[in-house]
Amino acid sequence: MRISTLAYSIKQGIKNIFRNRFFSLASIGTIAACIFLLGIFYSIVTNFTHIVEQAEDQVSVTVFFNEGITQEQIDAIGADIRAQKAVGEVSFTSAEEAWEQFKADYFAKNPELAEGFSSNPLAKSASYTVQVKDVEKQSELVAHIEGLDGVRQVNYSARTANTLSDVGRLAGYISVAIIAVLLGVGIFLISNTIVVGISVRKEEINIMKYIGATDFFVRAPFVVEGLLIGLVGATIPLVAIYYLYSEIISYVMKQFSGLTNIVSFLPVGTIFQVLLPLGLGVGAGIGLVGSIMSIRKHLKV
Amino acid sequence: MIELRDVSKSYQQGAPAINHINLKIEKGEFVFIVGNSGSGKSTMIKLLMKELDPTAGKIVINGQDLSTLKRRRIPKLRRMIGVVFQDFRLLKDRSVYDNIAFAEKVVGASSRTIRRRVPQMLNLVGLSEKYRSFPKELSGGEQQRVAIARALVNNPSILLADEPTGNLDPKNSWEIMKLLEEVNRRGTTVLVVTHNREIVDAMQKRVVTMNKGIIVSDEQKGGHYYADKYVSL
Ligand SMILES: Nc1ncnc2c1ncn2[C@@H]1O[C@H](COP(=O)(O)OP(=O)(O)O)[C@@H](O)[C@H]1O
Ligand SMILES: [Mg+2]
Repeated sequence: MRISTLAYSIKQGIKNIFRNRFFSLASIGTIAACIFLLGIFYSIVTNFTHIVEQAEDQVSVTVFFNEGITQEQIDAIGADIRAQKAVGEVSFTSAEEAWEQFKADYFAKNPELAEGFSSNPLAKSASYTVQVKDVEKQSELVAHIEGLDGVRQVNYSARTANTLSDVGRLAGYISVAIIAVLLGVGIFLISNTIVVGISVRKEEINIMKYIGATDFFVRAPFVVEGLLIGLVGATIPLVAIYYLYSEIISYVMKQFSGLTNIVSFLPVGTIFQVLLPLGLGVGAGIGLVGSIMSIRKHLKV
Repeated sequence: MIELRDVSKSYQQGAPAINHINLKIEKGEFVFIVGNSGSGKSTMIKLLMKELDPTAGKIVINGQDLSTLKRRRIPKLRRMIGVVFQDFRLLKDRSVYDNIAFAEKVVGASSRTIRRRVPQMLNLVGLSEKYRSFPKELSGGEQQRVAIARALVNNPSILLADEPTGNLDPKNSWEIMKLLEEVNRRGTTVLVVTHNREIVDAMQKRVVTMNKGIIVSDEQKGGHYYADKYVSL
């Protein structure tokens, strides 16, 4: 293709957009809304995934034993737990270690206070600390361990983990649904915009055909038009999200204030590594699909 | 060279618009096509441009059989053929210069070629002074000159004119015909569909007369005589 042809197509494409201002704006607006929501939901979902991952790292189950249990029984319980799928690292804390840890945590400044204990007050506190790899499997695992012989008590943090993955999944479903609807509306509006453009230029297109314009030459301006509308529609919300990201994060923090201490959010740069190409790609995709649909239907050269 | 061999064209309903036509036009000829309304003249023009395909028969233009011409290659054919119509078909939102330049842009000409060729064409059709005017500021005759310049700017070997003087007064009609004759003198094969009896009679060119989809006469240096004869049939 010649440079002059490319330049012509781009120039005509831009002209079409301005000639057809109302429809172009409607299309750009819809696509912008679509990409904006896509961006927000992507940010939320990514952050929740990130948070859940953090939480999963933190999710552990502590297993305490019956009084008078033998070391063999403890080893047997350990072997059983290690054999479970959702289990990561398993570490054993003896009663002595537990007491040392406790002293270090609570009597560090007044070691003389700890001297008052003649025997280990945590004699019954030997335990396994079990890392849970998959939060969703936690309750299952806990039930299993509770059923084991010699297990007195299992401590775990069920509520946090479940809430996290539920909210994450819900946000995912809502985002997919709304984005799908907006995607459809965006394609519909673009293809209408292009149809209007084609009908306005019917006469010119006819002349072009009998002068000997190639299909490509006749169609390219409309593809450019769709592409540009898509890209402009994507750029506006991406720029907005880039600057609003921290605001949105603080809004989310307020809505889920319980999480503030447990979690950290991803930096905007990390989000945009994916969101920028994704947003521009979706915008360009809507534009291309919309314009090609109309061209196929109304521009049989 | 243009050759139609036993060509027929029927539309969905009604009698065939073109009915087993044989016609051969050599390179460099000037040919009038006459015949009353509905006799198939415009249909023939459309067949030559492959805007329509014949229902039977074979059309060969400059050695190219149109029936085997791929759709993708149609633009190439049309670049060998310039065409003008009764209603000029200029772009109203563009100046004379831009209307002619448009035809060059469409075929991907460089801006240098465009800057060289457009003034040549304006000079040929005698509109050098009016290159900045818009179509609505021109007379019918001037508009048709612009259309002719646009049709010729890419140097086609054939010029088809479908009733080019149909909307013009006798004086302007004569000027347009003289222009077409000049174009032909410079080597372009010219085919003119017309109703203008005086001009056809006066110019003494080859005249092909059509009626109801068939060629009823084909006269070198002919007059309009046969057309009348068959109109009354
Ligand atoms: N698009 C069309 N669909 C159906 N019939 C047509 C069409 N175009 C022309 N015809 C018919 O074909 C015949 C020839 O028409 P045309 O080639 O336009 O004749 P001319 O140009 O000599 O007046 C006429 O009977 C006309 O009604
Ligand atoms: Mg006609």
